[in-house]
Amino acid sequence: MEEQIKNIQTEAIEAVKKAMSLADLDDIRVKYLGKKGSFSAIFRSMKDLSPEEKPKVGKFVNEARTLIETEIQAKNEVLKENELQDRLENETIDITLPGRAPRLGHLHPITLTLNRIKEIFLRMGFSIEEGPEIEEDYYNFELLNLPKDHPARDMQDSFYITEEILMRTQTSPVQARTMKAHKNNEPIRMIAPGRVYRRDDYDATHSPMFTQVEGLVIDKGITFADLKGTLELALREIFQKQVGVRFRPSFFPFTEPSTEVDISCVMCGGKGCRVCKGTGYLEILGAGMVHPRVLEMSGYNYKKVSGFAFGLGVERIAMLSYGIDDLRLFYDNDVRFLNKF
Amino acid sequence: MQVSIKWLKDYIDFDLTAEDLADKLTMAGVPVERVLRMDEGLEKVIAGKIESVEKHPDSDHLNICKLNIGKEELLQIVTGAQNVKAGQMVPVAQVGAHLPNGQKISKGKLRGVESLGMMCSAGELKLDTSKMTEAELNGIYILKDDVEIGTPVAKVLGLDDVILEFELTANRADCFSVFGIVREISVLTGNKPHFPEIKCKEEGDESASDLVKIGVDAVDLCSRFSARVLRDVKIAPSPHWMQERLAGAGIRSINNVVDVTNFVMVELGQPMHAYDYDHVAGHSLTARRSVEGENLHTLDDSSRLAKGGELVIADAEKAAGLAGVMGGFESEVTENTTSIILEAAAFNGASIRRTARSCGLHTEASGRFERGVDVTSTCKALDRAAQLLEDMGACKTAKGIVDAYPMEKDEREVAFKVEEINARLGTDIPGEKMKEILENLGFSVIEYGEYYIATVPTWRNDISRMEDISEEIARIYGFENIPSTMPKGEVIRGVESERGEFMGEVRNILSRLGMTETLSFSFTHPELLKKIRVPEDSELMNAIKIMNPLTEEYPLVRTTLLTNIMETAARNFSRKNEDFAIFEIAPVFFPKSQPVTELPTENQMIAGLFTGKRNDVSWSEKQTNYDFYDVKGVVENALDLLGITNYTVEKADHFMLHPGKSAVFKKGREIIATFGEIHPSVAVAFGAKNPTFVFEMSVDVLMKYRKNNYKFEPIPKYPAITRDLAMLVKETVSAGEVLTVIEKCGGKYFKGATLFDVYAGKQIEAGKKSLAFTMTFRSPDKTLTDEEADAAFNDILNGVKTKFNAELRA
Repeated sequence: MEEQIKNIQTEAIEAVKKAMSLADLDDIRVKYLGKKGSFSAIFRSMKDLSPEEKPKVGKFVNEARTLIETEIQAKNEVLKENELQDRLENETIDITLPGRAPRLGHLHPITLTLNRIKEIFLRMGFSIEEGPEIEEDYYNFELLNLPKDHPARDMQDSFYITEEILMRTQTSPVQARTMKAHKNNEPIRMIAPGRVYRRDDYDATHSPMFTQVEGLVIDKGITFADLKGTLELALREIFQKQVGVRFRPSFFPFTEPSTEVDISCVMCGGKGCRVCKGTGYLEILGAGMVHPRVLEMSGYNYKKVSGFAFGLGVERIAMLSYGIDDLRLFYDNDVRFLNKF
Repeated sequence: MQVSIKWLKDYIDFDLTAEDLADKLTMAGVPVERVLRMDEGLEKVIAGKIESVEKHPDSDHLNICKLNIGKEELLQIVTGAQNVKAGQMVPVAQVGAHLPNGQKISKGKLRGVESLGMMCSAGELKLDTSKMTEAELNGIYILKDDVEIGTPVAKVLGLDDVILEFELTANRADCFSVFGIVREISVLTGNKPHFPEIKCKEEGDESASDLVKIGVDAVDLCSRFSARVLRDVKIAPSPHWMQERLAGAGIRSINNVVDVTNFVMVELGQPMHAYDYDHVAGHSLTARRSVEGENLHTLDDSSRLAKGGELVIADAEKAAGLAGVMGGFESEVTENTTSIILEAAAFNGASIRRTARSCGLHTEASGRFERGVDVTSTCKALDRAAQLLEDMGACKTAKGIVDAYPMEKDEREVAFKVEEINARLGTDIPGEKMKEILENLGFSVIEYGEYYIATVPTWRNDISRMEDISEEIARIYGFENIPSTMPKGEVIRGVESERGEFMGEVRNILSRLGMTETLSFSFTHPELLKKIRVPEDSELMNAIKIMNPLTEEYPLVRTTLLTNIMETAARNFSRKNEDFAIFEIAPVFFPKSQPVTELPTENQMIAGLFTGKRNDVSWSEKQTNYDFYDVKGVVENALDLLGITNYTVEKADHFMLHPGKSAVFKKGREIIATFGEIHPSVAVAFGAKNPTFVFEMSVDVLMKYRKNNYKFEPIPKYPAITRDLAMLVKETVSAGEVLTVIEKCGGKYFKGATLFDVYAGKQIEAGKKSLAFTMTFRSPDKTLTDEEADAAFNDILNGVKTKFNAELRA
């Protein structure tokens, strides 16, 4: 009987070795280990054995079974691995087909630029203030030291609704409004971003509506040197590089001294090109120490506090940052343009 | 304002190049816009003498010339010009020249004969041809015989000069003159100017005061009116040097008298006018206000009707000119003029500006008056003009000046402390340095205790207080020498308004949802409002009018964004952009009353538009059009992200929308969002070929309903059970109604129902449709049994059966 078991074992192990697939292996399992398999037959025939032989043979059978099972198990692993390899070799897709992308939305380049500017000034402790776009002459001009006959107030420059109400030509009236809302010479650090309106022809560098950011700092002992330091820092943050910053004397009715601020040309690095008209510099903003009359008219005591103010054009900064040469693209709203941002 | 380097060098010495000078001036607040070389293109053009002219052997019209250009060998040039003769002096463009007209000169052969340059015509040199004779214009421009061979032609023609074009700021009226610029150069270089001595001979026998009467009626508009009388005037061309200086200033030469008035204006900054003495009625001139309707015959020979109130200069009979803007026709100086009244006056800038604007006449003179002239300079200007004409032998000056100067101007003094200036600038400039700077600028400065007292020069009308002084010191000290510091003081937290932040959030959300932001002008047109079908009686029609619109296209301030977003869409359609989703957030404006008397209401609105295909061409999916449920979905998602929930949906009643395919979301009675397909006639009006959908929301309304504080809800511990319910209902029953009943009957474990199929057609009874929902049940504290879920399901089933007569669909 032991001989018989040995033979079955050898035969089974041989079969396992020859098995080519998981199905073959399964057949082998059934044939030898299944209910109707070879070992089951041996078990059945064991009832005829003597009580002494029974455990001996039983142990022998079990050992053989375990051995075969181990073999099957091992072979099973090998076959599974082979099968997986086969599958992986046969399963391929065309990786050059384009990926599936949901349609994306885009923020307007002016919004993106404005967000950057707002972020920079918020980090510097400036608050963001708002004001009406249709404004009183009083706030838009008078409180900014632009009396009635000032050249900047010519009808050609502003859209008037009535003699006393107009579409604001600058975001500076928000300055005046903010100052009026503060009492007791309280310090202010603010920017006022927003749309402004000028009666300018619509061309590559002008638009009847554009976006401005006005800034104002008022506190005890604010100096022109502070204006320089603040704007140098802000401009370098905005253009994300070490741009050269140049301050040129200028004139605005609401500041004294006044300055025009240039940056070294971001296109040519200051060598001189078409964009900077060969000068190496780009005019980027106007600024100055707040005129004492402006402080006074808005309820601040110019003997106790001083301040500086600045105004910059967002379109210009966006044009320079993105290398756009025609301002009209911003208001044209061609989706092919907008979807690039 | 423009002036040539030659003119500046008449009065001050400097070694700077034109570019360096321009830089220095610009950085001191006297901005030079452009540096213009008059000899540009003439660098390789020199004077040459034609030694011989021969006919070209193979051509009827070509001549072979041999020219002496001061070199050993003669230069051979073949020309087609017929006016060349041996012995003539001509401009020769050598090989390598790049002429002002763009032409490049290179070696060439004309019909086999070598030509090594070109002789130039006036046109090729871009000379001012306006006064040239026909003979001068045609053919080669012949130079004078006495020109030295080899001299650069630029020098021969007086073009060896550089022009500075200034872009002066409104406050620096004093720099609108050569003297003014020279003063600045003097301060910047430290070199002393050498201004000419101004003195006229007054050789006439008569006294000006016997010849002419001068009066000022409008004292507020004319602070000074001075005049001289010139006799024995001989009108002739002005000398060459003066024509050259004027050309450099961009002024064309007319005759000696006009040229001198212009010359003095540019030199001293004081505009002048010359009247023909014999054509001034009563020999009297009065500065007065015009009377409305008064006839003004100006020297452009046009008749203008006075609006009333403009400052005019009147003779005994009539207005003889618009003061500071344009002279009168009758009293214009002509070839026959023999006596002249010269006027130098100080007119009110604002008044001149109004007049110049209303006539559309902006002249060199009016520009200077607008900015303000130095009231003390009128007599000096008259003396200078008389002197120049005397030197030309063009007149005899009557004795004295007739001067109407009703209120003499006081000297202005400004007191300041050194610390004040340094505190404003953030500098540490010593008082001595400040004093020096100011004195160089023409101030006189004295110390008085801890103060400095500066007397302002008469030409600086812009300086009246310490802050103005601080600017003078800063600009000469150099802005670049002022340090850069950061503001000190308390740290203030920077904040944005709640509304500003909310709008930023909406922008971000809509772009996350696949929409692209647009930006349009705040203007509109009545026709545009009609195009989107705004009813006549709608408040949207009551838009604010702009008094002076830029174009006829946009006379109104917008009351809705829908017009703009449709225009934006139409512009894209016209460029074959058919598929997009766009939005805009911007204010619209409503008057509180018409006509407008106070600031209007500004409402920040949100508008969106979807049109065409919702997905791009792809190998894997079919392209499908946007539909109603895209708009609805985006609005729902946006509201959800903004924390706005529990609103109801109703059919919309909106002029611009398709009545069957539009809806509103409401909180109570208030509409929070309107959306739907645009009305077919709106689609036609804007050229929308594909189905197009819009939505509109108000920022302020949304802000009212947002929940700011989102509370975290833990993820459920126990699993949910789902049950599907497919039912047949009448076609008229809306999914929303069914859902409401399901929610009501769902019981305490009901967590929600999602519609996953809507079907009508084959296998469904006519007039009915099938709706299929999947419903979720869950308990927070145990795993539900099937029995519990079934019970809830049956309650729902009974509910819809009772309410809608629904049949369970197998």
